[in-house]
This record gives sequence, structure tokens and C-alpha cells, in this order.
Amino acid sequence: MVIHDVIVIGAGLAGMRAAVELAEAGLDVAIVTKVHPIRSHSVAAQGGINAAMNKADSWKDHMYDTAKGSDFLGDQDAIEVLCKEAPENIKELERMGAIFNRDDKGNIAQRAFGGAGYARTCYLADRTGHSMLHIIFEQVIARGICRYNEWHVVEVIVEDGVARGVIAIELLTGKLHRLHAKAVLLATGGYGRVFSASTNALSSTGDGMSLALRAGAPLMDMEFVQFHPTTLKRTGILMTEGARGEGGYLINANGDRFMHKYAPNKLELASRDVVSRAEQEEIDAGFGDDGCVFLDLRHLGEKKISEKLPQIRDLAIKFEGVDPVKDPIPVKPGAHYSMGGIMTDIDGKTPIKGLFAAGESACLSVHGANRLGGNSLLEAVVFGRRVGRGVAKFAKTAKLYPFPEDALKNAAHGIALLMNREVGESASKIVDGVRKAMQKHCGIYRDKKSLEEGLAKVRQLAAKLDEIALVDTGDIFNTEMINVLELGHIVEISEAMLLGALNREESRGSHSRSDFPTRDDENWLKHTLVYLEDGKFRVDYKGVSITRFQPEERKY
Amino acid sequence: MRQVIKFKIKRFDPMGAEGNAPYWQAYNVKLDHGMTVLEALLKIEKNDDPTLSFRRSCRSAICGSCAIMINGTSKLACHTQIAPEFEKHGEMVIGPLDNYQVLKDMIVDFTPFWMKMERVKPYLVPKKEPKGGWVITNEDTKVIDASQKCIMCGSCNGACNSQEIDEGYIGPSASAKAWRFVGDIREGDKRLRLDRISQEHGIWDCVRCVSCTEVCPKDVAPMTAIEKLREEALAEGLDDNPGAKHALALVDSVKRVGRLDEATMTFKTLGFLRSLGMIPFGLKMQMHGKMPHPILFPAIGKLDEVRGIYKARERQRKNERKKKG
Repeated sequence: MVIHDVIVIGAGLAGMRAAVELAEAGLDVAIVTKVHPIRSHSVAAQGGINAAMNKADSWKDHMYDTAKGSDFLGDQDAIEVLCKEAPENIKELERMGAIFNRDDKGNIAQRAFGGAGYARTCYLADRTGHSMLHIIFEQVIARGICRYNEWHVVEVIVEDGVARGVIAIELLTGKLHRLHAKAVLLATGGYGRVFSASTNALSSTGDGMSLALRAGAPLMDMEFVQFHPTTLKRTGILMTEGARGEGGYLINANGDRFMHKYAPNKLELASRDVVSRAEQEEIDAGFGDDGCVFLDLRHLGEKKISEKLPQIRDLAIKFEGVDPVKDPIPVKPGAHYSMGGIMTDIDGKTPIKGLFAAGESACLSVHGANRLGGNSLLEAVVFGRRVGRGVAKFAKTAKLYPFPEDALKNAAHGIALLMNREVGESASKIVDGVRKAMQKHCGIYRDKKSLEEGLAKVRQLAAKLDEIALVDTGDIFNTEMINVLELGHIVEISEAMLLGALNREESRGSHSRSDFPTRDDENWLKHTLVYLEDGKFRVDYKGVSITRFQPEERKY
Repeated sequence: MRQVIKFKIKRFDPMGAEGNAPYWQAYNVKLDHGMTVLEALLKIEKNDDPTLSFRRSCRSAICGSCAIMINGTSKLACHTQIAPEFEKHGEMVIGPLDNYQVLKDMIVDFTPFWMKMERVKPYLVPKKEPKGGWVITNEDTKVIDASQKCIMCGSCNGACNSQEIDEGYIGPSASAKAWRFVGDIREGDKRLRLDRISQEHGIWDCVRCVSCTEVCPKDVAPMTAIEKLREEALAEGLDDNPGAKHALALVDSVKRVGRLDEATMTFKTLGFLRSLGMIPFGLKMQMHGKMPHPILFPAIGKLDEVRGIYKARERQRKNERKKKG
């Protein structure tokens, strides 16, 4: 058995930023990740990171925009931290080696993003996440932080309400390992892959959330999923909001701009939930083209597109066969970001002693019912750092509780059961079924009947999980087995999402109920909590922190 | 009718029934419009053979997981459309990256890749920050921007000819990373970095075959980074190593006689004592009539014109230096 002070699960921006902080505090921290750190999905963030850097802007304006963007479900104590600490985090990243695009005077340039009252999104072309993830990974290397790459965590071990460590499977050998620690930090990213069409990496299956749920921690606001307005028609690959920030238009099949009908002031730069719904309405009203509208960048000209959006151009050409310099890009709304996640306090603590969460897998909540573009990278670094410091403080005085004797044996038994089943269900059929059900019943527009149907379908498929048989029974890089482990997470998360969505009888942010089309602050200005107890889901609620900005009607 | 294309995939499973040897397996894939190689692999995994192992994640050419050999060239599976690829080659032959040890099917051991990366100290070692913070212009960024685009997919190392004969060679990817810091105006350890990477297995071992730059899916142009590192190393006066000496001897030879004086090059590159070790090689060359005369070496005609080029370049350099201030 290996012992560390702290184990961080997930090596995206939030996880590695926290690990750097833990190493700085002199602790023995190890990162466990199912892919190599720089393969983590933070790498795919394109458009940028928000911070009120300019004198004409202020963290309070940033906070207001974020609270309004969240449809007032965001916890304002957390949002205040996010916006206040943003500028110093940008400067810190730069000292670590990050490079941002500059204006003519040599100051950090900022582009306009959706739902923001000021152009406050810092960027490096359209690969900001790539740059930042690599920079933080460099810092991890510089500090010699221990990494378990391509290890898949199968269980977070909690006994008597205290986290003891994790059990993980090493993909290279198929061996199970015990990692014993005083604290465990989950930073495993989002759950976009519960849907069949998503901008997310194939690995974004929400593992950490489901691990936390099984360990006894509640998930919060899982019904809130962001559908990004511009994802490629065929593949669902992301076309950054920066494309509209740089002046791109949305047009329908007739070639007409349509956003003035839905957001007369902010037009294409309204918040994402608003723009996605507008697109869907255009498509449903017969103004779409094969389920799509178009992102038109032609008027920006080749020079600007090549300088500011080179990756967008390459992706559109390579994956859609469309050169945005010459033709508009066919796009549709697609699942993009998980506002929900593991319920934590402002320091990343879950109700389980020694168990923490950060980044997209956590729900503080800074994004509430809808996240603003440019705020996710920001959350990852600001709260990666903050939670890292909090965990360090905890681990410095915490006791190392014993690792339960039978934990490894039980985990090994579960894996063996799966590996040895000779005849059974095909995992890929089940996962297809779940994803189709979620796409159909838990998409942009929802209603009671459809959600109930979805829930029934998912539950029916979930019952088959214990009957899956593998074709691949090898030990080395058994990707089929990993797919099955991920499917277990997908199914649990889907059920939590459907339950939250079914119960929430209002429309707020990304959650649009056709049968309850308005926001209902009187009854629903509260967070959904979902617990898993003895194999059964239980739904509960908790209040929202409202400090500076009272809920008001949301218009763009 | 959708086209059906046969994928010939090189497989390997050290624990499998086929024993410890690679073997070929064919799968038929029904082509969808715009389908990529990664989509085909996912389809095979799902419908035909879940035992097929390959790395995958973002499927949008930014995470760097899925570099493999496609018809003899290192490419990202997710970034390669099948239709044009098939049209060009008339077949789809898929396998693990060259120059890496295969672990299973298309999964290769990246450990040496990451160790090389760590050898170049892949993080900024900043100089003292000026008062009021660094002012970085877009021009400063441009110098290192190509290197910054690297997604560490390892395609270049898979295509590298020097890497093929010398496992210890630092390789194009780590060299590009080294340039990313050497070329950064904030970097404090520039000279130390250049000194280290000028040693054996370093930048001077590149044979400039351009393969790395050709296969790079993100236009990092590692070979250009290597050339810049060489220029900077010489500008820093780091010429006390065989690679730099060889380059300088070449420059000198052309200036002196207008062409390559191979015999003198050997002495200038290796020094007198180590050149003695080359005597057996020289004798062999002599036997085949390939040995250049050690003393009598005819200069080309119109040597003035060659020297004129040198003078012009010298003037150009002076102007560049003036501009830089």
C-alpha cells in the first residue's frame, strides 16, 4: 500500500492547480488520472478566461454579470471570491509562464464574451485552455509532484464518515492498487458524455461525481447542463464563443440574423442558455437547415480569422469541410458544461471529512443555473488554488485513519465478477440507450411526461448493469472494462439529473420546462441536492447565498 | 450504398493467444460522410472487436492522445478523414507509432517521450521581474508561438530519423519545448539551457530531414525550433562541442575554398586525437578511392563571389543587431 498526505483525482486545470498549492505547502501530494495530465479536457477550452483587469471594469460588475448569468441561482459568496481573485490569478499564471494576447500598448487584450457587460475575457488565440493546462502541468513537473498516469479510480474509500484514500486500477497491468491518504480531492471534470452529442472529450463521464455519490456525498443542481450554441453539425465539436466575441453572426437558413428577436440588446452575445434556445426555436419554426443554423464569420475577413481564430478555421475545415472564410459554418446547440456537481462549501469541503472537490466536478456554486463563457477556466484556477490551500490546511493537522482491511478484496471481487461473466449484456448497447434517452428527454426543452419517460428508460437500462459480460478479458489496457466502469457513472449521473429536472417545476437558466415556462423564485430559488442511500436516490434542497444582488428579471 | 473500406490493423498483445509477436487483423468499416479514422476505430471497438486498444479523448485534435501510423505516416486518428486518405493510398493500414515500444495494439510506451521532455526542464525559470511587471508584446509572443502550440502527441518523434538510430536523442518535440523557453524574454536560464541541449544527443544530432515538421498536426515546425536553438547557441558562443564545431568548420570551409573540405572538417569537428580514431575509416575510404586528398584541395573558381555572399550576410547581421539595439 502506498501512503500520501493527499490524493488528487483528476489532472485537469483545477486538480493540478490544487496539487501545486499542496506541494507548495510541503505536503506529499499525488495525482491520479485516467489519462495523461495534458490529455485532460481543460486542454480543449478555447475562448478565454474572465477577469476585471481594466480600470473601467470592476469585480463587482463581473460579479453582477455572473449572478445574472446564473439566473440568480449562483451562490453569491462564492461568486464574490471568483471575481475578486480573478485578476491576481491571471497575473500569477503569467508569472508561471503563461502568455496572453496583447493589445497595441502591450497590456493583456480582452475580448467580448456572452452575457458580460464589459470585454473582460483574456485569451491566447482560441487555445486558452491548452496554454493554461500546459503551464500548470509545467509547474507540477517543476515541483516533482507524484503522478499516477492512466490509473482509473474505482472507489473512494470512506469509513465512519471519513475519507481514507482510493482504490485504483493501473491500466497498463490491470492491477488494483490501494492509495492511502489523509485527504482526497476530486477534480474529475464534467459529465457531458451522458449525452450522445457533446462538445466534451470521450473521457468526460463524470466519474468523480458518481464516486462521491457512492461514498455518501450529495450532488447539487445536476439538472443544470449548459448547451453551447455553436457546436459543429456532424461531430458536436466546439466552435468557441470567442468567434461571436470577435464579431461573428448567427444566421438561419434564409441567411438572416435572428438574435434581435430573442435578445435585442446583446444579440449574439446574450448568455448561452438564451442563444441556444433561440437557435432551437429557429430550427423548430422551420428556419433551420437539417437541424442547424449557421455561424457566419465571413465578414471578419481571412486575416482576422487566421490570427484570432486559427483553430476554429482548422476544425471547421477538417471536421465539417467548411472554410469559414468562404462559407458559414453549420452549427447546433450541444451539451457542453455541467453546472451541477459535488456539493461543496466555499473551500471545496464536502460533508464527508477529508473529501474535497474542485473545478467542474464540484458545485460551489458559482455558475448556478447557467455559466458565463470564460468563467470555467477561471473557476478552475481560482478554486483550484483556494481549495488546494484549504486541503493543505486540513491535511497538516489531520490524522491518517486506517485503510479498511477488506476494501481491496471487495473491489477486486467486483472486477472479477465482471471479468468472469461468460454470457450477458453488451455494454455499448446499454450506453447508447442511456445517451439516446438523455438526449431525447433531458435536452434543451423538458417537460414532465418526457422526463418521466426518460427516467423509466434509464432505470430499465441501469438494471442491466449487473448482467454485462466482457469480450476482452485481458489485463493490459483493457479499454472495454474501463468503458463499463464509466457506464456505471453515466447511469447514476443520468438518474440524478432526471430526478432534479423532474422535480424542479420552473424554468431557470439552462433548465427550460415547457410545462413551467417561467422562473419561480418563491418556490424554487433553491439548490437541488441528490443523495444515494442504500441504492436509492433521495432528493433534498438547500438555500442560495444572496449577498449583493437581489434576483431580478433577466433580459439581454 | 455507403462505401465499405477494409482497415488493416497491426495488433499486438503480449499476453494474447498470438504470443509475443505483432499480427495483422482486418475489419470492414462502412463509411459515413466525413468520417475520421478515430470514428472508424470507435466503430470497430463497438461493433466488431472490443479487444482493440487505442488511446482517445478529446477527438478534436487538441489533447494529443490518438497519434498512430496511418498508411506509413504518423497522424492524429481524430484529425484524419478517411475518404481523402483512402483515395490517396488505395488502402487503410493502421498501426502504432514508429520509434516507440508497443504495449498493446496502438498503445505505445510514452515514458521515454516524457523523460526527454523533463530533460529540457520544461518550465519557465524567470529572470527578475522588472518594476511594474513584464510587458510582453505580440511580437515577443510570435517568436515562440509555434512551439507553444505543441500538443505533445509524439507524432514527430515517431517520424524522426535521428531518433530511429539513437534512442537517447532529445528529439523534435522536446527541442520545440526547449525553444519555447529559450525564446521567452522572461527566461533566466537561457544560456544553461542552450549549453545542455548542445551536448551529445542534443540539437546538433538532428539530420534536418524535416520529417517532424511534415507530420506535425499543429504546425509547430520542430525543425525550425532546432535551427533557432542552434543559432542562439552559436550566438552565445557555445561552440565547444562536436556539433557546433562541425557547423562552423563547414562555414569556414566554404569561405576558404568555396566547397566542402571533408578532411579538414574531420579535424575541426573532432580535434586531433579523436580524428586519429577515424584512421581505419579513412583507410577504407582510400581503398574505394573515396578519400579526399588531405592537403591538396582545389578551391572552386570565382571564389570571390562566394566570399561576397559572406560579406553581404555579415552586413545584414550588423543591421539586424542595430535594429535590435
